[in-house]
Amino acid sequence: MSGNGVAEAIRAENIVKRFGSIVALNGVSIKVHRGEILGILGDNGAGKSTLIKCMTGFHQPDSGRIFVDGAEVVLDSVDRARSFGIECVYQDLALVNTLSVYHNMFLNRELRKPPFGLLNHAEMRRRTADALNDIGVGVPSVEEEVARLSGGQRQAIAVARAVYSNARILLLDEPLAAMGARESGLIIDLIERLRTRGDIAMIMIAHNYAQTLDVCDRVVLVQHGEITFEGRSAETSVEQLLEIVRREYRAARRGL
Amino acid sequence: MDTTPRGADGAKAASSAPPRRWGAGHAFRGFLIQREASVILVAVLLIIYFGFANPNFITNNNIVTLSQFVAAPAIIACGEIMLLICKEIDLSAGQTFALAPFLVFFGARFGLPVVVAILVALAICAAIGLLIGLVTVLLEVPSFVTTLGTFFLITGITLTISRGFPATPPGGKFLTGILGAFSYSEIIWAFVIVFLMHMILRHTRWGLHTIAVGGNDIAAAEAGIKVNRIKVGNFMLTAALAGFTGILEAYRVGSSDPLAGGANIMFFGVASGVIGGTALTGGAGTIVGGLIGAIVLGVLQDGFTLQGINAFLFDGIIGAAILIAMVVNIRLGRLQQSHLR
Repeated sequence: MSGNGVAEAIRAENIVKRFGSIVALNGVSIKVHRGEILGILGDNGAGKSTLIKCMTGFHQPDSGRIFVDGAEVVLDSVDRARSFGIECVYQDLALVNTLSVYHNMFLNRELRKPPFGLLNHAEMRRRTADALNDIGVGVPSVEEEVARLSGGQRQAIAVARAVYSNARILLLDEPLAAMGARESGLIIDLIERLRTRGDIAMIMIAHNYAQTLDVCDRVVLVQHGEITFEGRSAETSVEQLLEIVRREYRAARRGL
Repeated sequence: MDTTPRGADGAKAASSAPPRRWGAGHAFRGFLIQREASVILVAVLLIIYFGFANPNFITNNNIVTLSQFVAAPAIIACGEIMLLICKEIDLSAGQTFALAPFLVFFGARFGLPVVVAILVALAICAAIGLLIGLVTVLLEVPSFVTTLGTFFLITGITLTISRGFPATPPGGKFLTGILGAFSYSEIIWAFVIVFLMHMILRHTRWGLHTIAVGGNDIAAAEAGIKVNRIKVGNFMLTAALAGFTGILEAYRVGSSDPLAGGANIMFFGVASGVIGGTALTGGAGTIVGGLIGAIVLGVLQDGFTLQGINAFLFDGIIGAAILIAMVVNIRLGRLQQSHLR
């Protein structure tokens, strides 16, 4: 049991989700504690994204229960999930490239000033600079158009925005995909700093086994809508995971 | 892994405490400003050229004429720019332009006070925009196609209610003067509307969300922005502005023609926006750029008219000018894109 006595942030129990006759999730259970990072591994179509989307309120599970801070919740919309501090960061979808860093940071939460309710650009710039500085995300300027930033910086800003908007359960959808070593390092640094804060639970979807084992406290492997492996990263090896996946491939090929 | 970021990005991270003001972003913004400046430069050069080429160009009479060439496209551009920014377009704005004065005319004949008739006419124009917007976002018909339909539909309505005859706009001398009979009233309206729309685009949530929807509709929706509401609202705004422009024109000319405006005025509005730097790919654009674009087009039209250029050649020259301006605009956009990577 992970968490060292720290409170459980979110728990999903026996989640089932069907799309027509396809069973995307067949009784999946996961949980994460505050200050903990859970890695979700699995092939495309295994159900990782569906699972995440059940927790962001984007999908409603056909059966199963979700608990936030130990209390059962019904996440019937993204806004509802957000009200429980659940926030998902999608790699390429999160930011508006043609807007500045600070406009993205405050997107749909803009600060305004009296008497006409016009945007308070100066205050948003100031708070963005403070917030980015606070969690150690560097950009040349908060007035920079996001399109000018590197993939890693964009991702970091998306994470910073989620944290700044009081996300306490952070879902990261492939945060390291299509990123070079340096860019990955930037994100991993950020994720580890957030873990150190201890008040945020993180779930990270990933493809790279070695990287995931390195970053996460625990990992689960999702295959065909079921969890086929669960373990602490320290006690899990890449070979162990690969062996499970290999068995799966062989079974699939025999089925052809 | 320790908590100090490393590498080139790390170096930036370390120095981020006071955000640097002279990074690549400033060069980029400098470039953007330059882009608008280049359009201003073109406008100024054209004015200088026509000023020297024809002594009548810079006279009070001609400035009135020029302002009238500029005003209508500038106001219509305000709406079209909002739509282009959120990746939509209203091809039927020129038709709404033609319909509106007839709505005022019939409203007044119905017994409404003229001001009320104008407000009702604008509300009906906004309702047309609402219809266009709803068909576009709910039935997922591209607005290019939706407004191709309303393009003909509205002309049909205008011709039917007017029976093909022109009408005289109702109202006393004072109101008529404010709305268009006074030489500079239309351009004053244009400046006021440009100012208000500039404020809306740059300094309100509505404007910011319009840019967000055009820049990345998924991210906008993820952030909780009602994407459809933004789009529909901008269709309503565009239709109302087009209708208002039609009313101003009718009061200026003293008559409304059921076939006034049309594709011509709409494309002048769109072209003004594009010449002024609004991206056809959405997510970026400026209202002030649209005004400058309208001035460029107005100067070209007015200048060539004064030069007495062959009427057959006239459209050809205007077309070539628009084409050159748009190509330059798009090439500059590409250049910026390649700078991004």
